[in-house]
Amino acid sequence: MTDDEQEIFDKLSELLQPFNEKQVELKPQTEIAVDLAIDSVSVMDFVMEVEDHFDMDIPLNVLSDTHTMKDLISVVQARKKT
Amino acid sequence: MRVDTTTEIGTGAGAEIRPFTPEGTPTINTDLVQRLGGFTTLCEGLDYAAQGQTGMNFYGPRGQLDESVTYRQLRKRAIAAAHQLVNAGIKPGERVGVVAETGAEFMVVFFGCQYAGMVPCPLPYSMYIGGRESYVTRIAGMLESAHATAVVTTADLDELVRDAAGRAGIKRVLSHEQLAGFSSEGPALQPFGPEDISYIQYSSGSTSNPKGVLISQKSACANTMAILRHGLKIRPTDRAFSWLPLYHDMGLVGFCLSPMMGQVSVDYLATPAFARRPALWLKLMSQNQCTVAYGPSFGYDLAARRANGSLSELKLDQWRVAGIGGDMVRADVLKLFSETLGVAGFKSKAFLPSYGMAESTLGVCFVDADEEIRVDVIDRTAMKEYGVAEVSSETDPELVRSFVVCGRPLPAHKMRVVNITGKELGDREIGCIEIAGPSLMSGYFRNDAATSAIMRDDGFMDTGDMGYWLDGEIVITGRAKDMILHNGRNIWPQDIEWSVEKLAAVRDGDVAAFAVEGSHGEDCVCVLVQCRLRKDDEIESVRKAVKAQISRTIGIEAQVVMVPPKSLPFTSSGKLSRSGAKTMFGNGDIVEIVSDFKTIDNAMSVAAE
Repeated sequence: MTDDEQEIFDKLSELLQPFNEKQVELKPQTEIAVDLAIDSVSVMDFVMEVEDHFDMDIPLNVLSDTHTMKDLISVVQARKKT
Repeated sequence: MRVDTTTEIGTGAGAEIRPFTPEGTPTINTDLVQRLGGFTTLCEGLDYAAQGQTGMNFYGPRGQLDESVTYRQLRKRAIAAAHQLVNAGIKPGERVGVVAETGAEFMVVFFGCQYAGMVPCPLPYSMYIGGRESYVTRIAGMLESAHATAVVTTADLDELVRDAAGRAGIKRVLSHEQLAGFSSEGPALQPFGPEDISYIQYSSGSTSNPKGVLISQKSACANTMAILRHGLKIRPTDRAFSWLPLYHDMGLVGFCLSPMMGQVSVDYLATPAFARRPALWLKLMSQNQCTVAYGPSFGYDLAARRANGSLSELKLDQWRVAGIGGDMVRADVLKLFSETLGVAGFKSKAFLPSYGMAESTLGVCFVDADEEIRVDVIDRTAMKEYGVAEVSSETDPELVRSFVVCGRPLPAHKMRVVNITGKELGDREIGCIEIAGPSLMSGYFRNDAATSAIMRDDGFMDTGDMGYWLDGEIVITGRAKDMILHNGRNIWPQDIEWSVEKLAAVRDGDVAAFAVEGSHGEDCVCVLVQCRLRKDDEIESVRKAVKAQISRTIGIEAQVVMVPPKSLPFTSSGKLSRSGAKTMFGNGDIVEIVSDFKTIDNAMSVAAE
């Protein structure tokens, strides 16, 4: 990971902690909804935290293709630039 | 015969005008007499509302007013859209899928179809993280079942909807922008007449077998009139608020068609925005002094738990109707909500439990507005063993069950509770609920088998729900046999089973999904999976794969229990018996698989202690 990616990963991990009830170890390939077994409402809470922190909107179609932490890092990177 | 229930504005009994101006469209029409339904078509209702200043307001995810449309503007845009639909080559009577995002664009196309005599089919606008494939499958199934000839989509879901349309063999996919590119002029339109159909609702049926509820102009007009006049007893000072999805009957009929047929202004917050910030619901209702809102118990739970900050600054004493529908009404949740929001002036008598379904357009039973909710506590054993609702003074949830009373059928609507032989039951006898009346659907669209399976010869329809009478009011004890209600969503066990059976390690017929009752009476999802493996780590990896698959396709966390081969019960015709599996699991007749190694592990861990 580049420094930028590592920085976003660390921040996402921090934002995800309150939802990570089973304290699953987070890696770039961790599937957010699946590996952490969080329900759809909590996932939306987490997405809201991400949007608020990075001051961006993540549209539904983008969310639909976001599975892993790595995917989410790319989403944040791409939308930070625009 | 048409009955006009008209009220003089400002001088009607109890009409209290607050010195207050809401953001967006006004609450009260100054020069148009309120008419609570009684129209013969939805177009006639919109034509009437268009003579006033009220309308719809759409709030964004951070609580800002994004768009405000008066009914007058909406009508004008809908008629333009009707011409555009005709000019796009769509013919009267054809079905048009419309992605139902909460916004003016959806409303314009839905009513454009009404003015053009085309049948709109609102499609889900929802997503969970990584949910692309399940969304596309679901939409494709609906489009196929509706034999749609065209789809109109939002720009953000354009690619996904095109994918779905491709799978359903539909060539005409239009974004709102593309539709607007067609000419908004043309020869006279052929709007739907009073004897015509109106729309198809897809909140019924599973993904693997979607069933479109076909609603006529007559049913839509009858149900919205009854809701306005008798269910909610709407007044000129009422203002509605909704975060409900517009692809569900409660959102579409309750908070789009009904307010319009009563010229009531509505403030909307999109469902995903509510899910992210439930407190916005309360803040905006306070800000615009809204008086009517609805939600499933789950929504009140979410709002109460996530209400944050200075609740005392909110002003919710005007909130007259806090309707509950769409899931089992939970008294504990309502109590938490009114205790939390009491500080803002919220009154618990605003709660209005109700019962309804898309097959009856929306509303069937309502409790009297202005009355406290009533809870009936009954004996569990008598209910289970004898099918009787026997009053109990016990409080132990092991011994009793509490149900919220859901009110009386709307006038001109009929309801009966019958046993399996069809005999009508009396007070406190639990049976199947059947309904009749002007709000019933015309049938499931092009699905005679499904329609005749629930229609009785005398015009009554089997709701699939169970309940009992109590002093002329209905109490619901269980919803449609197999359906799972999870956080306000209807989940079909077939969808879970179907999705799990796609895994390589699982065979068809290996899976049974059903709801088990959680500690608060809520539905938890339990999935039994037959497994031929013997090693602990192999069994665990299948379990993990099943959980992941359910999470990915259905978006919920389920309890997955691995059971030995040939343990699931089947009926004589070879059909999986879900209720049988549930009973056997509950009794301990089906138990979790014991691996060759687990016993040794357990023995060792016991020894270690």
